[in-house]
Amino acid sequence: MLSHDFTLRKKHLGWLLLVGGVLACIAILSIDVLDVGREGGIGPAQQIALAVSALGALIGLTLIPLGDDPA
Amino acid sequence: MAISTTETNALRPLNRVLLGAALILLLFHFVVYIVYAANLVAFPFDYDQGEGFELVDTIMFSRGEWPYRDTNIYPFYSSNYPPLLHVLAAPFVWVFGPAYWYGRLLGFLGTLLTAAAISYAVYRDGQHKLIALLSGLAFLASNTIYHIGPLFRQHMTMVLFETLAVVFLAHANEIADKSKRRRTLLLGLGLVIAAGYTKQLAYATASAVGVFLLLRQPRRALVWGAGAAAVGVGIFLWINIATSGQWWLQTISANINDYIPDQIFGLFRLWFGLHGFLIVPALLYAAYELYFSRLSLYTLWFVVATANSVTAGKWGAGDSYFATAIAAMCILSGLFAARCLRGEWRFPATYLTRAAAALFGRFLRGDLWKRALSGAALIVIPLLYIGYGRATLHMPTDGFFFGALAQVLQITPNADNGFYDSAGRIAGGYADIGHLTTEADIAAGWHIVDLLRAVDGPVLSEEAAFNLWAGHDVVTNPTQLLNLANNGLFDDRALVAMIENQEFDLIVLRAQFYPVPVLVAIDTHYARSETVRMNGFEYMILRPR
Repeated sequence: MLSHDFTLRKKHLGWLLLVGGVLACIAILSIDVLDVGREGGIGPAQQIALAVSALGALIGLTLIPLGDDPA
Repeated sequence: MAISTTETNALRPLNRVLLGAALILLLFHFVVYIVYAANLVAFPFDYDQGEGFELVDTIMFSRGEWPYRDTNIYPFYSSNYPPLLHVLAAPFVWVFGPAYWYGRLLGFLGTLLTAAAISYAVYRDGQHKLIALLSGLAFLASNTIYHIGPLFRQHMTMVLFETLAVVFLAHANEIADKSKRRRTLLLGLGLVIAAGYTKQLAYATASAVGVFLLLRQPRRALVWGAGAAAVGVGIFLWINIATSGQWWLQTISANINDYIPDQIFGLFRLWFGLHGFLIVPALLYAAYELYFSRLSLYTLWFVVATANSVTAGKWGAGDSYFATAIAAMCILSGLFAARCLRGEWRFPATYLTRAAAALFGRFLRGDLWKRALSGAALIVIPLLYIGYGRATLHMPTDGFFFGALAQVLQITPNADNGFYDSAGRIAGGYADIGHLTTEADIAAGWHIVDLLRAVDGPVLSEEAAFNLWAGHDVVTNPTQLLNLANNGLFDDRALVAMIENQEFDLIVLRAQFYPVPVLVAIDTHYARSETVRMNGFEYMILRPR
């Protein structure tokens, strides 16, 4: 990865977005699990963050099949 | 039935007429912008709230003083912005003395340079001169850029450095000559640091540049990123030590403000309503690069800058926070337009093209789709720029030329002071400016200065210019005190005591952005003696009760 010739591929970017998006979704939902005393459920900012994270994960999923094309 | 080559050629005259119409429309925007800038350059008082404090910062730097100060002691003043714009403007203080015009002129010229850089970027990659020109003009035509371009504020100088950095770095990785590549990286990353030390918001562009370098070559990204970070952090620590920690307190700690969800939803709706004709092509180009080509720095910049625009929902922020995204949008939409007109789309065989072939097999066979796309592009692309020009329409509705034109176009003012703004001023955080100042405004300003000249004691004013021109100390930077107070970082006792003791001979209020205890003390111990209307705002003159 630290060689002079290495460049990230579509599949690398895809996996990064997929894993990052899924982890972000878990983290956002965990706010309500960890902060159990909080009222109001998932707020508007959380909903937007959740949608953006899910979209990122979905885009990542669609990039993985593009394989070794440079990102 | 698709369009044949002959039919495509037949559309070219219509294409030229429509492109000409788009050019005329955007040139009209440019003329309005020049008129506005010339008007503001000649105006010797605050036009946008807080400009005078930028001038105070510049004066301090011209004397070799830091503006990051302890706000708990007289004159309760501090800046909350990084120093580069003020440092650049400081030589003008040496030559011309304190004045607004050079700060506004620098801002205006910076936007012209940004537009030129956008045009250059589009021409370099798109090879279409007229689209390159339209892209640069589209940047200047944006309601947001128009508002803040000729102000004595940091924002557009930050966008200038950001744009130059991105344009320099966009092809840095492809430079074969090692020393030339290093010089380009050095210059590009230096411009990123310059943007950051003009305004904190440039961290988004720094992030986009970092991701871009990481995607292309992680080794280079780590080496150069570490170097740039070391320089940036080194400057930060130096200023913080030199100001005894006030730099951190005033520019970082005090900038954590309340978030207003309604403001950001309104501003995003407005951003799309005004710029949608170019946002959609920019998004399409970004999607093309994501799936069929390599991600360019322009695309990453657009995505990161747009995402970072959510910070416009902070108290004190506004539509100016979209300026970086608008610059990136102009480049991406220009590249989309140029590629459409030159018919240079390439779709390598992937699962996506195979799926498209399965769905639209007959249409996609041969060159049929390319000819259809080229024919449609000849009409649609100019219409996008015409639609954008209409969506962003803003102009004065008074005066010999603009008054007559407004009548012809059947446009009536929908903002203060004889001004039409297609934005309609409905979203919180949208700048309530854009109109031209008048001789009456200037006379009203000098009247307030005369009131200040008539008293000997200190004057508390929400606008620095009155104090500067009357020869009084500039006391407080109200919004910064409010920022600090909102974060529990301002001890108001000394200032409130001065107000309670009626030590100020005059108080001048406009937006009343002081912390609540200060406003309460003013209301208790001072009474309004006069109201002066200037530039569409009411300036309240208060004297001891």
